[in-house]
Amino acid sequence: MAQPKASASPEPILNTERHIKYYLRCLKTFLPSAYISNDSNRMLLAFLTLTGLDVLDALNSKTTPEERQSYIDWVYHCQVPSGGFRGFSGTDFGASNRTPENEAWDPANVPATFFALVNLLVLGDDLARVKRVECLRWLPKLQRDDGSFGEVLGPGEEIEGNSDLRYCCCAAGIRFILRGRSGMGVEEVEDIDVPRFISFIQACQSYDGGMAESPYREAHSGHTYCAVGSLEFLRRASVDTRPVQLLSPGSLQFETLVAWLASRQTNDLGEEDDEDEDEGEDDDEGSAETNNDDAAHQPTIDRDIGTLRLSTDAILSLPKIASIPSDTITCAGFNGRCNKLADTCYSFWNGATLAVGVSGNLVFVSKTSAHSISQMLNRSSVIDDVRNRRYLLEKTQHLVGGFGKVPGDTPGKAKQKRSLRRRIDMLTQARSPPLMFWPGLAGLPRRDWPRSRRSCTGHYRACRAAPGIIAVA
Amino acid sequence: MAEGKYANDPEWESITPIQLDDGSDSGAMPLASIAYPSEYLEATSYLRAVMAANEMSERALRLTEDVISLNPAHYTVWIYRAKILFALEKDLLEELEWLNGVSLKYLKNYQIWHHRQVLMASKAHFPTIPTKELDFLMEMFAQDSKNYHVWTYRHWLIRHFKLWDLPRELEDVESLIKADVRNNSAWNHRYMLRFGPREDAPAAGMANAGSALSTADEKGVLTVVDEDLVDFELEFAKAQIVRAPENRSPWWYARGVLRAAGRGVGEWEGFAGKFVDTHSGDVRSSHAVEWLADVYASGEGVKAVEMFTLLKEKYDPIRKNYWDYRIQQVVV
Repeated sequence: MAQPKASASPEPILNTERHIKYYLRCLKTFLPSAYISNDSNRMLLAFLTLTGLDVLDALNSKTTPEERQSYIDWVYHCQVPSGGFRGFSGTDFGASNRTPENEAWDPANVPATFFALVNLLVLGDDLARVKRVECLRWLPKLQRDDGSFGEVLGPGEEIEGNSDLRYCCCAAGIRFILRGRSGMGVEEVEDIDVPRFISFIQACQSYDGGMAESPYREAHSGHTYCAVGSLEFLRRASVDTRPVQLLSPGSLQFETLVAWLASRQTNDLGEEDDEDEDEGEDDDEGSAETNNDDAAHQPTIDRDIGTLRLSTDAILSLPKIASIPSDTITCAGFNGRCNKLADTCYSFWNGATLAVGVSGNLVFVSKTSAHSISQMLNRSSVIDDVRNRRYLLEKTQHLVGGFGKVPGDTPGKAKQKRSLRRRIDMLTQARSPPLMFWPGLAGLPRRDWPRSRRSCTGHYRACRAAPGIIAVA
Repeated sequence: MAEGKYANDPEWESITPIQLDDGSDSGAMPLASIAYPSEYLEATSYLRAVMAANEMSERALRLTEDVISLNPAHYTVWIYRAKILFALEKDLLEELEWLNGVSLKYLKNYQIWHHRQVLMASKAHFPTIPTKELDFLMEMFAQDSKNYHVWTYRHWLIRHFKLWDLPRELEDVESLIKADVRNNSAWNHRYMLRFGPREDAPAAGMANAGSALSTADEKGVLTVVDEDLVDFELEFAKAQIVRAPENRSPWWYARGVLRAAGRGVGEWEGFAGKFVDTHSGDVRSSHAVEWLADVYASGEGVKAVEMFTLLKEKYDPIRKNYWDYRIQQVVV
């Protein structure tokens, strides 16, 4: 638990220059060899790097038009002849070797296609070389009977990959970018099944209000973002604005979702627990500490539990909980699931899902843009943005740029050194992200962010995450 | 590339590797370039060559293992490997054994679990669940009892082999809850076992959750309710709440159970009330305060505001803004 008084420390600041340096290093130098386990996610890594610089307002000032054109050319290099994009150039065995028999081993990939399109837009491309019709023909083939989307088409056009809201959100994003509201020029191309899609998304809401990867799975903030993001993409691409229950204030779905998101904020930062966590593959957040109130009050659980009757005495003998003075809590981040520790990335996933409407030019609609109001759930006021901001800037912002996933060690020379080393490990070690990180493009205006520090800048204005790293503008 | 273990291996002599084309030759500037180690470049160049030839062979199978050990997130190498396994009619139990080791090494990898599911989905090979399968999953949970991929796979197993009433299934969940009453993944799995749909429909979600025709009140409500089961589950939740009253998981589990049964939160007013003494101000669970607030919110606005204010000012100050939001919604 955080002890220091909030008023004692000065206002934390975002070290913009260092974050820009960090991203430029990612952009212009080789990623370390250990990143080969993320080789197939290169389009995603590119997305994190480019949008990281973009959100820091540095992409255009720190790269030349020629460089940006060469990056655009690489993205197009990853376009497959039959439409859509690969996640990396590693599956490409060359146009002359490609046949109908082997092309399944070099497929277009749903998340990679979404990231590629956004990369092109962020780099200022006009999408003229995108195989738009082919890509839109490919997309419905990825949709299953239950309405969900897969990741790639395998041999025999089998849909590969789980039913998973991440693929759904990317598919909705592709559709929004390439079809838009009017579908002009692609009227003849078969669309995805939108009602079944919406039905699948709403079926992913868990009994506790959050959204899970698929129906009846455990609610998870990353998937929650994807659910709301999917619906947001659909809403924007549609002239038919019939409200979906999940997005309708006052509905049970909407209000329990907001409650679930608000309950993700926590001051259980795991600061004492994470000392030895710098090894291994543990790129997911740890478990929240088990309180010591368990042992003393453990009733016998057995097959007769149905007849167990708890007396009032059993409850009255429990300890009273102490009132928590507000000024004893300095920082509060977010977890991604019930009873887990805070982790930097979830400040984004939860915050962006709740994002408030902001007017401005959106990334995708800057050219077509009749409506440019960003809106996810429009409930960001329910979270504690001040404490979250302190968590990000004081606890996880890193000296060399970027953000760590959990707080570092407290001062002390040997410790500090180890902490630094560990943070650098986070930058350099290949860690496949527990979820694919991508910023809330559905909720993020590209320009005209509020300049006010007072607004919830710590959340939606910004997180751009690389595996284990996040930047906040 | 003349050096390297494949280039020097007579078994691979017949293959002309396909080198990586990262676009630099055509003037593109590669993004997210990685300093590839030479063994990775070599192995993947042979992988592209055998894939281009659609080769289904023992050597190709070994090559996939090599590439997987370097990059377990490679999304086509797994699909290719599965195809070879079926084409060569390999022993899939052996494959599962190998996969166990890989799974324990790369705990957070998604492709590994999907591959396992692809194999297990073969009715010809696995008409019933292999005996050691659930043991292995418990071994995984011993490493990380909240591993999302493993729970997803276990959920799939239940539906695929129709294991809802397998005694072992509930026993495993109970032992995990007993070991850590805050394991929300285990609570969620229990809910699926008890209240999840059992028909074959792949999209079987929360009852009425996705239908445009159902009203908000119908969401999550089952059409057929086993009241004994509901009562049993509510008592189970109560016992777990007493173990750790500030643990959110069983409180929300109980809400889900009541909703599935079409019974409201009001039914637990008495139970929640035991944790909150409004006269002395003694509170033994902040979740009980929230529960009471929800009970009072429909009809007794003043009392609801009183509860929300307790949370806001004393027991849950991080969520002050949320409690204010709730207070604004209450009709006093």
